[in-house]
Amino acid sequence: MIAMPDRRGFLPIRTNAFDRVFISVVLFVAIHLLWMRFLEPTLPLWIATVLSVILGAVIVRRG
Amino acid sequence: MRSSTTGWLLLLPTIVILVFTGVMPFIYVLLTSFFDWNLFAVNPEPQWAAANNFRRLVHDAEFLKSIWLTLKFTLYVLVSQVAIGFALARLMMRDFPFKKFFRAVHTLPLMIAPIAVGATWRLMTVPGLGPIPYYLKNWFGIDYRLSMFPDQAFASVVLMDIWHWTPFVTLTLLAGLSNLPQEPVEQARIDGANEVQIFWDIILPAMKPVLLTTIFIRIMDALRVVDEVWMLTQGGPGAETRFIGLHIWKIVFPKTDYGYGSAMSLLTLYLTIVICWLLYVAMTARKERPL
Repeated sequence: MIAMPDRRGFLPIRTNAFDRVFISVVLFVAIHLLWMRFLEPTLPLWIATVLSVILGAVIVRRG
Repeated sequence: MRSSTTGWLLLLPTIVILVFTGVMPFIYVLLTSFFDWNLFAVNPEPQWAAANNFRRLVHDAEFLKSIWLTLKFTLYVLVSQVAIGFALARLMMRDFPFKKFFRAVHTLPLMIAPIAVGATWRLMTVPGLGPIPYYLKNWFGIDYRLSMFPDQAFASVVLMDIWHWTPFVTLTLLAGLSNLPQEPVEQARIDGANEVQIFWDIILPAMKPVLLTTIFIRIMDALRVVDEVWMLTQGGPGAETRFIGLHIWKIVFPKTDYGYGSAMSLLTLYLTIVICWLLYVAMTARKERPL
C-alpha cells in the first residue's frame, strides 16, 4: 500500500497527491472546453493548453 | 513479501475483469472521441479529427439544452427522493399496523425493470385510455397531454423516477438507521434535547456516509437515465425531456456518429465525476470545522 500524506496548501481543502492531480485534470478539461466555447475565435487553443499545464503544475506542487 | 504476492494473486481476477470491462472501454471511447467516425459518411473509416468533436459539442445548442434538462431533472429527483426516502425510513423505524405489508408493497417498484415502468406510466398517461388524464380532467379540469405540454411531460418524468427509485433510497437509509447506535440518542434525550436537535445533531451526522453513498448512486443513475424516459415521452414534446442519455443514443445509433457520440459520453462522465466530487468535498469538509 502506497501512503499518500495529506497536506494543506493554497487550495481550500486538505489534499494528497492524487487529489491534486485529479483537480489539475478536471481544470485542464474545463479550461479547454470553456476556451473552445468562448475564447477560441480570438485566441488559439494552445494558449489554453499552456495555461492548464502551468496551473496543473502549480496545483500539484503547491496545492 | 510472500503475503503481498498472495494478496496480488487474489486481486488479479478482479483487476483483469476491471481492465477488460472498465479501463479498456474507457480508453477506446477516449480515442474514438478524437476521430470522425460515421458509418453513413462518404468515408466510413475513422478520420483523425483532433478536438473537433469537443469543439462541436460546446457549440451544440441541442446538447447543451439536454445537459441543462438532465441537471434540472437530477436536482428535482435527488432532493425529492432523499427527503421522501429519509422520512419513510424514519417512519419504518417505528412500529405501526401492517408495517411489513407496507414495506413489501413500498419496495415493489424497485423490482420492476425501468422499461416496464416507462411502459406502465405510458399506459396510465395516454389521453382517452389512461386513468391519469381522465381523473385530472374530471376532478380538476386539467388538460393533461404529455405530447403537447412540455411542463407536464417533464413533471411526469420526474414523478415516475421518484416513484421508481424512492424505495431504493428508503431501503439504504433504513439499513443505515438500523445500524446506528442508540446510546447517543438516549443520552441526548436524557440531557433534554428535543427531536429536531437529535435529528440534526446526532442522527444526520451519523448517517452522513450512508447518505453520501445513496446520493452518489442516485446522481449517477439520474444522469444516465434513458429507458423509462424513452418509453414515456420519447424525449418529447420536441426535445423537452431529451436528457443526455437519450440525446447520445439518438446521435450514436440512428445517426451512427460514433466520434461525436463518444465525445458527448466523455463529457457526461466528466460531469458525473465532477458533481460527485464537489458534493463529496462539500459534505465532508464540515468535519474539519472546529467545534
